[in-house]
Formats: sequence, structure tokens, C-alpha cells
Amino acid sequence: MDEHCRDALRRLHEYLDGECPSDLETIIRDHLADCPPCWDRVDFEREVRALVARHCRERAPAELVQRVLADLRLQEPGHTP
Amino acid sequence: MSEAQGDRGRGDESPVRRELTDEERRRRFAEEVLPHLDALYSAAVRYTHDRTEAEDLVQDAMARAYASFHQYEPGTNLRAWLYRILSTTFISRWRKAQRRPQEVAAEQETADDGEEGSFSLFDRLAASTSKPAEREVLDRLTDEEVRDALGQLPEPFRMAVYLADVEGFRYAEIAEIMETPVGTVMSRLHRGRARLQRALYAYAARRGLVTPATGGAVDAEQEPASDG
Repeated sequence: MDEHCRDALRRLHEYLDGECPSDLETIIRDHLADCPPCWDRVDFEREVRALVARHCRERAPAELVQRVLADLRLQEPGHTP
Repeated sequence: MSEAQGDRGRGDESPVRRELTDEERRRRFAEEVLPHLDALYSAAVRYTHDRTEAEDLVQDAMARAYASFHQYEPGTNLRAWLYRILSTTFISRWRKAQRRPQEVAAEQETADDGEEGSFSLFDRLAASTSKPAEREVLDRLTDEEVRDALGQLPEPFRMAVYLADVEGFRYAEIAEIMETPVGTVMSRLHRGRARLQRALYAYAARRGLVTPATGGAVDAEQEPASDG
């Protein structure tokens, strides 16, 4: 790991979040294309995020949907319950 | 409340908005908001740690959203608006009632995480003696383990990570939802992700998916080949 790696990985999360300034994003992307170990590391971080997303999505229970719909019918807008 | 009067007729307060009848408002709310119900419920489960309470939280938040739907500007960020209502509903009703001192403690935010702030699951897995492929370990973690790992994080970290990694919100949106500066969001994400990876590693180790390198050395800082 050289200083290019360290520079790229320092902003790894912002890079993956799509929150890097575009010039920096280009520098990091170019580095990752040339550096398999860094690419592997960044790809792993991406997979951890995907893992959380995959396991933490729920479906609203049907009863909840019914309750919300029932509330809509009963409620006058502008009134806080 | 007196806002209800403004709904009928005049429509002179806001030149862009045509006043809606109750029926139109109801239909629009149902069309635009209800598709977000699954996601809001998922978030509510993360807030409350409990499915029944999550249902109550969503129902409550939806009632509030409907009551203030006239304040929502069409074309602006509806998802962020809804999550913000979910968040404020949680804070005003649940967080107080739950009395989870470990979660509301402000010092959590500023406490020094020490090595926790820089935990790398990738490095830990790479350093384990049995050396299974790193991805294979991720695949073998169960639904429950991943949810519990996230659930263990103090609320501000847990919700920042949830909003970013599951819901894909941008930093500025999370800042709006959590009513906190973007810098705080970034710090919560950084530390929350490190804590999450630490928790995931603990589950993997407990189940024997990885064998820690050597007994006591596990907790030591293991920066990857920092000397080049």
C-alpha cells in the first residue's frame, strides 16, 4: 500500500456514497482501476452495505396498511390527532 | 385547527397550489405516500426494535403527515419529508417513553471511540487464520445477525447508517431528516459503519465462521501493512 492507496482509501466512504467532489472522484476511480488490492477493499465495503440493505428491508404488515387507510377516511385534514 | 378553513375555497395563500377538496387530498396522499409504507415501516422497526411498536409509530407518523400534507410542496423531496416526520414522531413519543439512557446520552456522540472508530471488517477477515473468502463470511451471516448487528448501534449511528445504506439518502437529506449538520451526519456514518463491522465480526467469530488470528492480538490495531 503506497500513498496513492492511502489517499484513495481515506475518502472511501464518501466515494461510495457518491459524495466526493468530481475531481476527487475521478482520481479515486482511476486509482481503483489500476490497483486490484484497493479495488477489492472498496468492493468489499460496497458488499457490506448491500448486505445491510438486503437484510433490513421489511414489508409493512397488511393490518398496518388497513389501519392507515382507515385513518385517512376518518380524518379531517388540518387536525392533528 | 384553523388551517382547515384555508382548505375550502379561497386559495389565495399560495399562488402555486390549487386548493384540494378533502377527497382529492385523500386520494393524492394515498397515491403518493402509501407506496413508501414498506420503507417507512422498515425504518420504524429500526427505531423501535419492536414490530408492534413500529406499526404504531408508522400509523402515528402517517396521521401527522396527512394532517400537514397541505404543507408539503409538490415536486419537492417527499421521501425526505416523510422520514423527517417519522423521525420527529419517534422522538416526541417513543424516545422519551422508552427511556433508553444509553441511546439518548449526548456523550455517545462526542465520545472517543478509540480503535472502534477505524474498525475494518475486511482487514479482520483477511487476518483470520482459517482464511475463508471474505465475501463468503458475509453470505453466511443470517438475516437476524445482520439486523441485530445494526440494532446494537446507538440510535443516531443506527439511523444514519440505515438511511444511507438501506434507503440510499444523500448526506444533505439525512441531515434534514435528523435535523443535524452534514458534518455530524458524516461522523455518525463513519463511526456507525465501523461499529457495525465490529458487530458483524463478533457474530462471525461467535459462530465460528472465522478463527481469530491469535488469542489476545484480536483487539489490537491491525492496520493493513501500513509500513508498505
